[in-house]
Amino acid sequence: MKDREVATRRRKVTGKWEYTWHLWATLLLHIIAIVLFTRGFLLTRTELPYYSNSSDVSESQCVYSSSHNNASSWTKPAVNRLIIIVLDALRFDFVAPSTFFPESKRWMDKLEVLKDVVSKNPTSARIFKAIADPPTTSLQRLKGLTTGGLPTFVDVGNSFGAPAIVEDNFLNQVDNGCIEHLFPSLYEDDWDVLISHFLGVDHAGHIFGVDSTPMIEKLEQYNSILEKVIEVLEKESGPGSLHENTLLVVMGDHGQTLNGDHGGGGAEEVETAIFAMSVKKPPSSVPVEYDTSSCQLDLDGKNVCVSTMQQLDFAATMSALLGIPFPYGSIGQVNPELYALGAGSWNSDASQELSESDIWMQNYANTLCINSWQVKRYIDAYSASSAVGFSSDDLSQVASVYAQAETQWLCSTKKLLLDKNKGTDALVPALKKQIEAYFNFLRTVAELARSKWTEFDLYMMGTGIAIMSISLIFQVLVILRANSQDGATLASSGYGWIFSASTFAFFLLGMRAVSFLSNSFILEEGKVAIFLLSTSGIVALRKSVVKGELLKESVGFLLLCTFCRFGIEIGLSKQSATSAFMKEYTSWILNIASDLPVWNHAAEVVPILVLILLAFWLYKATSGIFFGWTRKIVILCTILTYILIIVHWITENNRYVLAFMPESIGRTYIPRIIYAILLGQLLLLAFAQLFKGNCSDCKTNLVAKTTAMLAAWSSTIILLSGKQGPAVAFASIIGGYCIMRLCDIEDENGPKRSLSIGPFPVMQWNLFATCLFFCSGHWCAFDGLHYGAAFIGFEEFMLIPQAIILTLDTYGFSIILPIFGLPFLVATKYKADLGKHVLFRQLSQIYTTYGLITAIMTMFTIFCVTLHRRHLMVWGLFAPKFVFDVFGLILTDILICLASLYYFDQGKDDHHHN
Amino acid sequence: MDRRRKREKTTVIKPSTVDSQSAPKISPSETFIVALSCVFGLGIALYVANSGFSIDLVTDPSRTIFFISLVELPIAILLFSRYRQNPRKCTYLRALGRGLLAVPIGALLNCLGAIALGAPVTFQFLPRTVNWSLMMSLFTAVPASCVLGSSWAHWKRIFAQTRPNGSVEYLICLPAHGAVIGGWFGAWPMPLDWERPWQEWPICVSYGAIGGYLVGLVASCVFVLACDRSQHVKQT
Repeated sequence: MKDREVATRRRKVTGKWEYTWHLWATLLLHIIAIVLFTRGFLLTRTELPYYSNSSDVSESQCVYSSSHNNASSWTKPAVNRLIIIVLDALRFDFVAPSTFFPESKRWMDKLEVLKDVVSKNPTSARIFKAIADPPTTSLQRLKGLTTGGLPTFVDVGNSFGAPAIVEDNFLNQVDNGCIEHLFPSLYEDDWDVLISHFLGVDHAGHIFGVDSTPMIEKLEQYNSILEKVIEVLEKESGPGSLHENTLLVVMGDHGQTLNGDHGGGGAEEVETAIFAMSVKKPPSSVPVEYDTSSCQLDLDGKNVCVSTMQQLDFAATMSALLGIPFPYGSIGQVNPELYALGAGSWNSDASQELSESDIWMQNYANTLCINSWQVKRYIDAYSASSAVGFSSDDLSQVASVYAQAETQWLCSTKKLLLDKNKGTDALVPALKKQIEAYFNFLRTVAELARSKWTEFDLYMMGTGIAIMSISLIFQVLVILRANSQDGATLASSGYGWIFSASTFAFFLLGMRAVSFLSNSFILEEGKVAIFLLSTSGIVALRKSVVKGELLKESVGFLLLCTFCRFGIEIGLSKQSATSAFMKEYTSWILNIASDLPVWNHAAEVVPILVLILLAFWLYKATSGIFFGWTRKIVILCTILTYILIIVHWITENNRYVLAFMPESIGRTYIPRIIYAILLGQLLLLAFAQLFKGNCSDCKTNLVAKTTAMLAAWSSTIILLSGKQGPAVAFASIIGGYCIMRLCDIEDENGPKRSLSIGPFPVMQWNLFATCLFFCSGHWCAFDGLHYGAAFIGFEEFMLIPQAIILTLDTYGFSIILPIFGLPFLVATKYKADLGKHVLFRQLSQIYTTYGLITAIMTMFTIFCVTLHRRHLMVWGLFAPKFVFDVFGLILTDILICLASLYYFDQGKDDHHHN
Repeated sequence: MDRRRKREKTTVIKPSTVDSQSAPKISPSETFIVALSCVFGLGIALYVANSGFSIDLVTDPSRTIFFISLVELPIAILLFSRYRQNPRKCTYLRALGRGLLAVPIGALLNCLGAIALGAPVTFQFLPRTVNWSLMMSLFTAVPASCVLGSSWAHWKRIFAQTRPNGSVEYLICLPAHGAVIGGWFGAWPMPLDWERPWQEWPICVSYGAIGGYLVGLVASCVFVLACDRSQHVKQT
């Protein structure tokens, strides 16, 4: 007797924690796992807010040879003007002669003017094979080209929205603007650097592929443009002319595959070309030691040489040539061959006793000195400011290599340089040694930076995956334990059926999880989800045929699946319109939608009607059952907000603007009022938690709570989803109702109905939620976010509220509503005589199962991302999917915890039932 | 497509108890002949389509599938009508009529199932969808209709519960389930970006369905043989 009292008291103390502690533990485990994995997976360089100043150079130990004392430059300017023509997605084999490749293809040898120039003037023009650092996306690469740094993940994400900026259809117009402005500019003298970016090749590649007629036409067009540019430059190349000392650079920012894709780290994507031509002829070529070029005869028998360089080095080299400060975050080295093209301007002030190549070497050594100093400064500043800097081992290695080069500079080379009287015999070997030392340093830094910034930290990723697996095992154990408890207390009749249904549920889940292995399935994830949902619907129909009951519900569910399917297809066609990853996909529904004017009116009126229907239904459904007064208020508020939403939509349509209300009220104030009402409702519900009503009828209480919660959220989510909101809300109500009813028939063989809910309905609930995500026009990419929704009620940009609103819009139908709606599933099974404990155990069980399903999916996403980390589409598809899933998982966990706080009362009146 | 997903087969199989209601029992050798003629029908249809009209599933799916249906239709109806239930009450001709009637109904059901699962509904694909549904109807509904007629209880037992009773019902049930499940799995390669012609609707689904149908035929033969043997053991 006493024991029992103690037990009861302990239960009082632990209360709901007994049922909910593992939910919090899971949340914690997931957060740790995901933070660790993300650390290892996403490129984690932080950007420093520093800039290089021209006066900084005095801090270095480097010197100038005499004459040049211009304070505004770091190195001696070698060129006065720079023309950069960027051809987006320029493959290396567009530029290099076809003889460099085993097989001649249709698209090769089209930019003939470049190699003609190179073969004519081997000293003043060069072709480079430039190796880019993945991810090979345009924004990313342009940033890399200009800063000389390595990419960070945030840019990668952003750049995938870029295809939306330029309409693909305007293929021919894209470049015309460039051409219009390029030629007049060539004759003007008010610029130092002229950059012209041609997108045509990239677009031709995305739309038609490399081996296509539009691509060839585009290349031929570029050939003629470049011919004209070079002609102009050569005409103006005389002493005192406009382009006396100009450098022309024609370059690609990245390559592309034969399909026109880019983004990954494949050889075709990272290899692009740089063509550089100095108008002023440099006297001689680079000293042999620094010449990496390989030469071959082209089809016309001309000798063409091609060198190799890292794209990373471009920024530093250009800065050195122009004599401007190197970018602060650049870790590239000044490329000797490209730098040599500017050597023409130095002869004038050279002393007579040195040969040309020695002067060049002298300059180059000095440039490298500044270059190394600047890189060292950046590395030091980076490790000082960033939390995830380099390890101390790496740092000390870098420092020692630098110290070695620096000592050599101070002790021997500098003296030799300053001392003009010494002969060249001692100087040249010393310079060579010096250059070698600097090369060594810069190479070490670049290697280190690559391994830290663009390589994945497999150890971290592995740890993350391991912790994630532990959390999965933990969840499974919790479920099994609860099951065994159930088995002890309740007759496990119909257990065999539950077993086979769960097998089937896990089979469907497994199919979905395995489908993440392929980028195609991720692209069409919505279709896969609806396929599986319909399959589960068909199985449910089969079952209801066997039992001969609930036929209407199962057929209705299948019909709903069919509707969802069309909704998802409309969403996918939107995706293809903005995404560069999908070829044209036209949906006949869209065509009909845009063609008929009647449809436009319907599109305005139908959502309003559906919303009125929803409000009416909500009123009817809640007027009957017992509700606390707080919940009554919440429901009434929701109905009020529905009316407000209708007013908001009407005022948005200029056609029906009401005369007595200024437009701005409808636009901004109504949404804000609705957000405020949501907050008020949530507070009210939380407040009502404090007062324990008498729990005479737990089931009704639970249903009332759930309804109030869903009603509170629904209005904001509908508002954010726009016109499709009411329809999706309606669909989710019907779908939820069908799943709820159908889970009732699953166990019937035995005389006593089992109370436990198998994973099958929960899996259906989860799949249906996923389908709603796609139905409401979202997809797992950053351009799939409805940025417009963030500005409902806000005119200007405010980060935090808008981030919250965007989250509400993105995950409203697919995470928030399903999770708060899950207790309905429990309520259908519950019988009044069983006491509160059973109810709570079921609730906890169902939430754990739901969390487990989401976690399994995320686990597979994480796993596939790891597996495909070198995949072509890793930044285009897998990484966004990863971000969406991980965010969704954390949100799911948090919401489950919050829901557990809300739905689990303190177990005060437990002892009555025990 | 998984309308009639089979339950765990092993739990379902019981020694077949012959009752007067169910279809007449046929010997294993006869079962083999029926199964073989179905397989031959398929093979001949594909061969003639390929050599006579030089089309196959990939180049002209619509007509090839139609051709398969055309060849299978008489085979299925004529063969299975011989094993109709209650042969005294129901004439052979009536069974034939039932089979013919089942063709459009089965096609409609299959078509609806496919659309719910995501089959394209554009007009461009309409002939393919129609022909595919006809073929699926011949694999699933027509034999059952010839044998079972309109007896809802039998239909329910065979297709919703997967509890075939006797050799003829095995011949109806397992190939039908095989075709549906095969088609379901056959749909999986469709979204892949391999850009192969056979990924189009309904080519790979048809491949899957035909493959599943064949597996089902073989499985039904095996089951009939096993049941026969176990019964012999009982009797002796």
